Amino acid sequence: MIKIENLHASIDGKAILKGINLEIGAGEVHAIMGPNGSGKSTLSNVIAGRDGYEVTKGSITYKDKDLLEMNPEERAWEGVFLAFQYPVEIPGVNNTYLLKAGVNAKRKHQGLEELDAIDFLKIVREKAKLVELDQSFLSRGVNEGFSGGEKKRNEIFQMAVLEPSLALLDETDSGLDIDALRIVANGVNHLRSEDRSVVMVTHYQRLLDYIKPDFVHVLADGKILKSGGKNLALELEERGYDWVREEAAA
Amino acid sequence: MSQMLKTIRDTAAQAFEAQGLPTTRDEDWKYTDLSRVSALLGEQWWQPVEKSAMETAGFAIPDLDAYTLLFVNGHFDAEASELPEAISITSLAALIQDEPEKAVELIEYQADAPLSSGVVAANSALATDGACICVPDNLKLDKPLYIQHLNSGGTTHMRTGISMGKCSEIQIIEHFSGDHSEAGLTNMVTAIRLQDGSSCEHYRLQMEAAKQCHLGRLEISQQRDSSYTLHATELGGMLSRVDVVSRLQEQGASCELNGLFVASNRQHIDHHTRIDHNAPHCVSRENYRSVLDGRSHGVFNGKIVVAEGAVKTDSAQSNANLLLSKHAEIDTKPELEIFNDNVKCAHGVTVGQLDKNQLFYLKTRGISEEEAKQMLTFAFADEILAKMSNPSVRRYVEQAAFAKLPNIADLEGLLA
Repeated sequence: MIKIENLHASIDGKAILKGINLEIGAGEVHAIMGPNGSGKSTLSNVIAGRDGYEVTKGSITYKDKDLLEMNPEERAWEGVFLAFQYPVEIPGVNNTYLLKAGVNAKRKHQGLEELDAIDFLKIVREKAKLVELDQSFLSRGVNEGFSGGEKKRNEIFQMAVLEPSLALLDETDSGLDIDALRIVANGVNHLRSEDRSVVMVTHYQRLLDYIKPDFVHVLADGKILKSGGKNLALELEERGYDWVREEAAA
Repeated sequence: MSQMLKTIRDTAAQAFEAQGLPTTRDEDWKYTDLSRVSALLGEQWWQPVEKSAMETAGFAIPDLDAYTLLFVNGHFDAEASELPEAISITSLAALIQDEPEKAVELIEYQADAPLSSGVVAANSALATDGACICVPDNLKLDKPLYIQHLNSGGTTHMRTGISMGKCSEIQIIEHFSGDHSEAGLTNMVTAIRLQDGSSCEHYRLQMEAAKQCHLGRLEISQQRDSSYTLHATELGGMLSRVDVVSRLQEQGASCELNGLFVASNRQHIDHHTRIDHNAPHCVSRENYRSVLDGRSHGVFNGKIVVAEGAVKTDSAQSNANLLLSKHAEIDTKPELEIFNDNVKCAHGVTVGQLDKNQLFYLKTRGISEEEAKQMLTFAFADEILAKMSNPSVRRYVEQAAFAKLPNIADLEGLLA
């Protein structure tokens, strides 16, 4: 699905990512864990194409295409989706309108007919149930006045509607209580499929109790220091990150 | 003409001759150069046009269920109007003819009023028509009152007075438009007096033809527990200046001023507002926004004066401006004068471009850069229009406003 090779990226001349190598196959779920400031969010932002990050070296190949050559909307059309750590409030643009425009832009890109309002609404209603999002949220401004948990649920709802091939969840679990976390995780689990890959960036092992990853990576100091299976997350929870750093340094 | 009316007219004419038009040396007119008016309309720019006909179809707000007053080139067209029976409405021209003492009251010129100028003096001296509207006590007009002003070039001076009886309610829509290619000037003064407990929602839609200059003045005087809401939208004309003077005279009165400018090319739009808190427990809210493209120039001056005795005043003012082009310009200035300590006054100004985070967010959902910009621009402006309670007016203004923005393709969905 996506292959990241020797990726270096910086913000305002400050190097954040210092040689990331990561390959994610179709249908796989990867968790990227690491201490604060390790570059986790930078990695998801670079993949989604946010301005202000300069890729100084390396490459990202996505579905055999050069991802870094595409602008953010093209990446979305090709199936990349970023669930924001801090979802943005956009008063005045309603949730459903945004999604309809997004879905139809993608369909147009794929050479498909645009969905009409009735078909679209049917899809939207069904997906809203998946994350237990009240219908009234559909006609409200994007994230406008939503609570923290509602914003995160809205992100997963959008993901469900946009049906990406590669979903990046940037600290989707942070700030959620257990109930909200369960709902969000349930939504993500429903969306797992053979042709959809998921990258979860998280600070807490807790999320992985609900969404079981195939692989766990430790990102620290701008590099992936260790990769392993589910058990690595448990080990990190117990022992912290320092031993990984020491092991890598040795 | 009665002697008294003649005296008032002459006094105003003399005041105008003495003052002339304000110049940019006048602090209140620093950014708005009225020499453009005489350059466009010639030395005799103030002379009102004669009564003349024009094609009037196609200008009215569609699907609006309302009583109507139509003015064509500054003259009341009784035949094309549909007046309500429940309230008294007389044209200024008829008053001048039949009840000059009432006409005197309507056109009286007060040189010492805030933001008064030669423009108002000229209006007093020359106003040909307008409306005198009296809403009786305890009456709620069942439909909005739609005052439509159509222009096809030349100068018009008009004056309208609205007197709201105790606990009466009305929705008034003043709409200025035309599609002529001639230069023209609208000089419109509207005075609204609200007695105890009355309420008025006032739409003032400036959608004049491209070469029209528009000079407006709104005087609002509010008594106890009355409430006034203004929706002022500035879309048309080449130069528009509107002064809004609102006086909260007795306790419990509240006013809300909402303004939206959408300008492009070389349009110049200037609103000077002044709210006088003269009594305790009054509330004022002011929300102005502008979207400026091309080489357009916006001016907002919001003055709020809280008198010594006006304790427990609750006032909030906000002015946000979006510049779509690097040649567009906004001059904005909040002015607060507060003469007692027991008040709550908030104000804020922003000038900027579109929010980068919002743009990125939309793009990650597959919205193209161009479309994302349009959506955000729309949303920014629509927050002001969303305050309109009349859905037909809101939709009409939204469509007109966003037709001015570049390439808004699928608007219908956004309006839903």
